[in-house]
Amino acid sequence: MAPYLLLLPALIFLATFTYWPMAQVVFASAFEGRTIGSATTYVAFGNYLRLLDDEDFLGALWNTILFITWTVIPSMALGFLFALALRRSGWLSNIHRALLFFPTLLPLVAAASLFIFIFLPGVGLLDYYLAKIGVHGINWLGDPDLALWSIMLLTIWKNAGYYMLFFLAGLQSLPEDAEDAALIEGASWWQRQYFVVIPMLGPTFAFVSVIAIITAVVQVDHVIVMTKGGPNNATNLLLFYVYQQAHEFYDIGKATAATVVTLAFLLALSALSLRTMERRVHYES
Amino acid sequence: MKAEVAATEAAAAPVSTAKATLRPWPALAAALFAAVVFLWSAPILWMLLASTRPESFGSLDMARLLPDTIPTTDQFNYAIQDGDWIIWFLNSFILVTGTLIVQLVTISLAGYAFARMEFRGKEILFYVFLFQLMLAPPVLIVPNLTTLVHLGLYDTLIGVMAPYWGSAFGTFLMRQTFRSIPRDFEEAAVIDGASWRQILWLVLLPLARPGIIAFSIVSVVFHWNEYLWPLMVLNSPENMVLTVGLVSFALGAEGASDWGLIAAGTLLVVAPLAVAFVAFQRQFVNSFMSTGIK
Amino acid sequence: MSFIKTFVGAVALTAFAGGATAAERIEFMFPAPVQGKLSREMQRIVKEYNASQDTVEVIGVFTGSYDDTKIKAQAATEAGKPPAVVLMGANFAAELAMSDLIEPISAVAPEGTNLDAFLNEFWPAVRANAKFDGQLYSIPFQNSTPILYYNKEHFAEAGISKAPETWAEWIKAAKKLTKADGERWGLMMPSNYDYNGWLVQALAMSSGGSFYNTSYPGEIYYDHASTKAALKFWRDMAHTHKAMPTGVTDSKAVSTAFFSGKSSMIVLSTGALSFVRNNAKFDYDVAFIPRNVRNSVPIGGASLVSFKGTTPEQKAAAWDFMSYLVSKEVIGGWSRFTGYFSPRKTAYDLPVMQEFVKNNPDALTAVEQLKYAGPWIATYNTVAVRKAVEDEMQALLSDEKLTIDEAAARAQKNANEVLKPYVESTALRF
Repeated sequence: MAPYLLLLPALIFLATFTYWPMAQVVFASAFEGRTIGSATTYVAFGNYLRLLDDEDFLGALWNTILFITWTVIPSMALGFLFALALRRSGWLSNIHRALLFFPTLLPLVAAASLFIFIFLPGVGLLDYYLAKIGVHGINWLGDPDLALWSIMLLTIWKNAGYYMLFFLAGLQSLPEDAEDAALIEGASWWQRQYFVVIPMLGPTFAFVSVIAIITAVVQVDHVIVMTKGGPNNATNLLLFYVYQQAHEFYDIGKATAATVVTLAFLLALSALSLRTMERRVHYES
Repeated sequence: MKAEVAATEAAAAPVSTAKATLRPWPALAAALFAAVVFLWSAPILWMLLASTRPESFGSLDMARLLPDTIPTTDQFNYAIQDGDWIIWFLNSFILVTGTLIVQLVTISLAGYAFARMEFRGKEILFYVFLFQLMLAPPVLIVPNLTTLVHLGLYDTLIGVMAPYWGSAFGTFLMRQTFRSIPRDFEEAAVIDGASWRQILWLVLLPLARPGIIAFSIVSVVFHWNEYLWPLMVLNSPENMVLTVGLVSFALGAEGASDWGLIAAGTLLVVAPLAVAFVAFQRQFVNSFMSTGIK
Repeated sequence: MSFIKTFVGAVALTAFAGGATAAERIEFMFPAPVQGKLSREMQRIVKEYNASQDTVEVIGVFTGSYDDTKIKAQAATEAGKPPAVVLMGANFAAELAMSDLIEPISAVAPEGTNLDAFLNEFWPAVRANAKFDGQLYSIPFQNSTPILYYNKEHFAEAGISKAPETWAEWIKAAKKLTKADGERWGLMMPSNYDYNGWLVQALAMSSGGSFYNTSYPGEIYYDHASTKAALKFWRDMAHTHKAMPTGVTDSKAVSTAFFSGKSSMIVLSTGALSFVRNNAKFDYDVAFIPRNVRNSVPIGGASLVSFKGTTPEQKAAAWDFMSYLVSKEVIGGWSRFTGYFSPRKTAYDLPVMQEFVKNNPDALTAVEQLKYAGPWIATYNTVAVRKAVEDEMQALLSDEKLTIDEAAARAQKNANEVLKPYVESTALRF
């Protein structure tokens, strides 16, 4: 009996606020209607077919894949490099750590508002200094070819210091002897990181990648504040698409179907990353 | 692998400190790195300047990163006048700690069950948990709000917290952490006649500190920053949290932007956490190794 | 002060006549239009109202942007906690009425209230958006029209003596004011979602169009000549005349560019008047949106609505509070504070308003443009219908090769797609 009792508290909350509403969503995705309560026409998989027909949805799916790839990899890489550089404590490295971690503490809505200024054409922070080196008139958030990358820049800026913290912690827990052994054998700094440190940090990498993927996917505030998915859907991400279908277009059929697809997508992603995380940990112990 | 490492340990220790000072390039690398850090903190530097400039809405040189005016506290004064900061701070604090404390209880219990117990349906239940891992709250706003109303939790801080009290991520993390603890400790306790409650509380949890700290950071950072969900759940001004409060005085919906005020308000929101970070970062980073477990 | 007291006294009396004894708590959800400062002022008005009587207690709920407000009000209603009063984008009333989410005002006001007489105290331009299907569903509270703000110093420097009145003059002025390398733009207009559609509509109306069928919202005129003219004008400003930055410019970028002298002319809502007045460090003025075929602009802004599902007591309280908000004194004070014009025409009869308009001629221009104002696009699934044309406008601003015909045709097709369920259940169902 004990194991079930131990699981019960967590399960109660998961059931109430995840499974029950999800069941409603899956059920509603088979109907066409304007609000969840008023679902009337049964359309089976009709909503899913409508999604496949919707260029905006396919675009959002692709944008999301790009967004995950190009925020998770650079912010983790930077976080790791920062951690390597600031591995040893000292007043200077403590200041550096604090400065790099600071963006994490900014609420995303506030950070997004500030970055509207930074990206402002003409007078914004980026353009002001770029103009000094002769680069003019880049419309960071207004050019469809750039907008998504600009938002990624914000995300990387905000998260790299966050991941640095976990890497720092991981590095502290490594026995110095392993690296020193490599040093004696004449390995260069890069060789030591690559052959000794990175493999030993496997669990940390796995842990951070899960956090990073979750962070990349479940946040939507910056899109709402900065672009609302524009220009011309260039920054439309899956979650924003769902948000807009549900709350602005009231197309509950499409919204719920898109939710189910998004969840399936995320589930696959999390299963994959957790699998890696688990394997790494086994290998380690 | 660990045995190998241990074998070379004795000889290696003195070398590393000696080597670091010999090469000329570390100074260059340090300078380069300082430049990167400067670039990284440019937005923050700008925030500090913008919040102390009298001009808040737009001038040609408003992006300058050099102090060019006599600093004023006007923007901060506006921000302080405009907000119920004490209430907001208090509520955000309650929200973050309340969420975390209950989470720690539920995830420790569930993590322990998954790590150390055998029972029917374990596999399935584990996947049932994982399902929630990447569920984004905006997706379920309407059904969850309905549930809160039925439970009488609409417009309460508990209502904001409750959906997060069962955390798949936390459960998974605690399971991993418990599994990395050698069983010897518990076996000794079992021989002494300890119950699972005592084992969990007295043996495993103290050893699981790195996992708990890591999860706490993730949870606190996430909930401190959250905007959309508290905005949906809370109505009364006395329940308002920092993020919603910040938006309420600093951001306008139609056209205008009060950059200096946004900067000042944001700095006020961030200040306590930033101070806490500066004060405790070494303890935090070191706490991971204090238990000898990674 | 005395008129406020009289008014408050009258309100308190009616409330007592209604039989309310204990204070009825209701929620009032409002967004932060333009500037955060306004939400503080709004909370002050709520407090003043609460102090002025003891039958109703209003809880002012700040709800972020217009969109967040709509989402929150609706989610709360679906969850069984309908807000009694919400300040909502003026063009959403029709849609909320269609979805049966809000009460007609006749169901909120006490029986026997003469709503026609009440509505006649408002400017004709704001009446259409307040109604749906012949019924009054919302009470206009803060309204605006798009207006041209221009930097008089730049005009003098470029040798332009007066504000442009026609599109030809507008283009000429914009070109003349532009300096190379993005150092200064002749004209900037916000092209982010929401603002974008509103301004395309303004340009289409200036070209003689009506943008949509005001008597049957199932018809949209995106591929008509007037809308094409709007798309072409805006596209040409950026690509042909190079007097405006290409790509999308956010409204925040537009206001900041104006204040910093990076743009000589901007189009923004009249709701930003006080904001501009308080922060422009140079001599500026406002002018009507220049005409292509005629002078015409859509209204914008927000109205008060009451969501369905409240108790009769809450409805009575809601009416009491709404009447207070749109009383000449309060609505006039709000207009002076914000820059929105007062939709209640009679508010301008107050001496304090006449004084204000005399001292601030820019506010007068905004009111005068009302003579040429028409309804804001309000239809089934308004945001999606609007997005259909906004996507194309945004594409035109960044893609030089996209043709107007192509863009207009696609906007029309996508809008029709969105409207299909509505059309099938209304015009095509007999």
